[in-house]
Amino acid sequence: MKTRVKFLVLSLAIALLMGVGSAWAEIRIGLMCPLTGSWASEGQDMRDIVLLMADEVNAAGGINGQKVTVLVEDDGGDPRTAVSAANRLATRDITAVIGTYGSSITEAAQGIYDDFGIIQIANGATSIRLTQKGLKYFFRTSPRDDEQGRVASETIADMGYGKVAILHDNTSYARGLADETRGLLEQDNKEIVFFDALTPGERDYSTILSRLRRANPEVVFFTGYYPEAGLLLRQKSEMGWDVPFLGGDATNNPDLVSISGTSAAEGFYFLSPPVPQDLDTPQARDFLSSFNEKYGSNPGSIWAVLAGDGFLVLSEAIKATGSLDKDELAAYMHNELSIEGLTGAISFDQHGDRVGELYRLYRVDGQGNFIMQE
Amino acid sequence: MEFFFEQLINGLAVGGIYALIALGYTMVYGVMRLINFAHGDLFTIGSYLGMTILATWAVAEYLGPFAGILLLITMVMFLVGIIGVILERVAYRPVRQADRLSAVVSALGASIFFSNLVMLIWGPRFRVYPDDILPRITLNILGLDVPLLRILVLLTSLSLMGILYFFVQKTKTGTAIRAVAIDHGASRLMGINVNRIISLVFLIGPALGGAAGVMIGLYYGQVNFTMGWSYGLKAFIAAVLGGIGNIPGAMLGGLLLGVIEALGAAFISTAWKDGIAFIVLILILIFRPTGLLGERVADKV
Repeated sequence: MKTRVKFLVLSLAIALLMGVGSAWAEIRIGLMCPLTGSWASEGQDMRDIVLLMADEVNAAGGINGQKVTVLVEDDGGDPRTAVSAANRLATRDITAVIGTYGSSITEAAQGIYDDFGIIQIANGATSIRLTQKGLKYFFRTSPRDDEQGRVASETIADMGYGKVAILHDNTSYARGLADETRGLLEQDNKEIVFFDALTPGERDYSTILSRLRRANPEVVFFTGYYPEAGLLLRQKSEMGWDVPFLGGDATNNPDLVSISGTSAAEGFYFLSPPVPQDLDTPQARDFLSSFNEKYGSNPGSIWAVLAGDGFLVLSEAIKATGSLDKDELAAYMHNELSIEGLTGAISFDQHGDRVGELYRLYRVDGQGNFIMQE
Repeated sequence: MEFFFEQLINGLAVGGIYALIALGYTMVYGVMRLINFAHGDLFTIGSYLGMTILATWAVAEYLGPFAGILLLITMVMFLVGIIGVILERVAYRPVRQADRLSAVVSALGASIFFSNLVMLIWGPRFRVYPDDILPRITLNILGLDVPLLRILVLLTSLSLMGILYFFVQKTKTGTAIRAVAIDHGASRLMGINVNRIISLVFLIGPALGGAAGVMIGLYYGQVNFTMGWSYGLKAFIAAVLGGIGNIPGAMLGGLLLGVIEALGAAFISTAWKDGIAFIVLILILIFRPTGLLGERVADKV
């Protein structure tokens, strides 16, 4: 028994040494994303985008002459799975990790990466508190919920609506955004005629729609995700009710239109960071053409594109500092980094939050296309 | 009042689907004392198969919408039934004599296997049924606007349940199913082929789940690989509510759960919809631990 333990310890030590040895040969970047579970489509898009960008960098000679290796781990869209995924990645000698989608899932992994001193760039984590913990190595390319709440209440005010219904789905993200927006709208003397939640993952929302209709709002703000938004639009049009709907940034997914049907989706407004299709920058154009060449379509989800932004940020930081040292990289990203990403200009403040106005208003047109509003 | 009846119809339509799925749980539990956790995923497979058949063979175009849909549902029921039989052979029969826990673990494993299989075959994104199969007519019944499809879903569920009830109560094979549910050993002594009856139950239960899957797809349009989980859970609750192992119980439990959910959401709070449904479940189980129509037998297990 004792010799067996010794042998185990010895082989572990050797494995660790070999792991460290390989660190100088290549740049190892982790990608944590939901490849299975409810958000599998987001995660698979994230993987497609990051691997594509890594391949391109490697084909052009790597970063500072070093090849980039991306290690992908599945977090299942679930905090518990995310913890073990983070532990697996953290012990594999990575410089930084990109991901993940979902604030609660990101939060579960945050502490682990910080303990290991690994830079994390989250792509779909908008909860405010993630950057309020003083974590030195945490960044995000996604905007924050309070920013979205502000834009939402301004948009509703600009559209001239006075009686607003707010519907969320009890997830911490949607609930937070709903509360934030309600507070701002009430300050603005708007009347909140309805504030309640639906249960995500169901199919039948006709009950909640009849209740909404009875409240007689001028506009409905739905802060949840696209599958439910699609069903709401579809069942709303079946009811023959034509109140305008405004969605939060989690409704920005082309599948929304296929779920609701084109005619039911027409006129739906939502807030979102701009997709590369709407940005006339060389970065966005190049990315779109290579993505199209490899996968034959435009990327589906804005959140997956923000993972690509995470990759751009990292490669720029490594290139500029010429170092893989976490403190040098973090200091550079906090203070100096300023690049044109796939979703516009990117730089970070001292908390690791992305700086600048990011949200745009989109409207779905008669063909089911998402049109950015000026 | 109009609002009340509107919600009642909403609840009955959703409840009819719950009831159809619940029948699969309750039948399998009745004859094997096993909760078939993979049942919700068989329901998912049914809705995906329906989508694929509809998209590739265009059954609705040759036969007209209603006959086409009827054929589609029959085909999907048959296919999902076959999958159910294979599932029993592969995952449950080898552990039938083993500890109860082994069968439960095997069922959970089968559930994870099926939902990932669906993801690998059809992909993780939401998939959508063709939109224009059935005419979207809204009927006006006593001043209520009711979509025709909603009534058809309810009627199809009710008639499938009726056929099943007749089959189990009035035919010789049905009698054999009921006998096996009471005692495997004694049924075998009476000359009943127990293995065949169990296979039959695994043909019928999943077939009904598959039919529910197609109806969900046709009515709501959207399917994804994780949907079996929430519907399976609700249907399981419906089966327990009505008295698990009892066929009319599953029907009653399903319809009741749908109505409680709809009325709770409409008159109390939509956010508390599931909470209300579970409170009702707990209350019923406190006063009737075997469920509404469950037999009062202490040593049922």
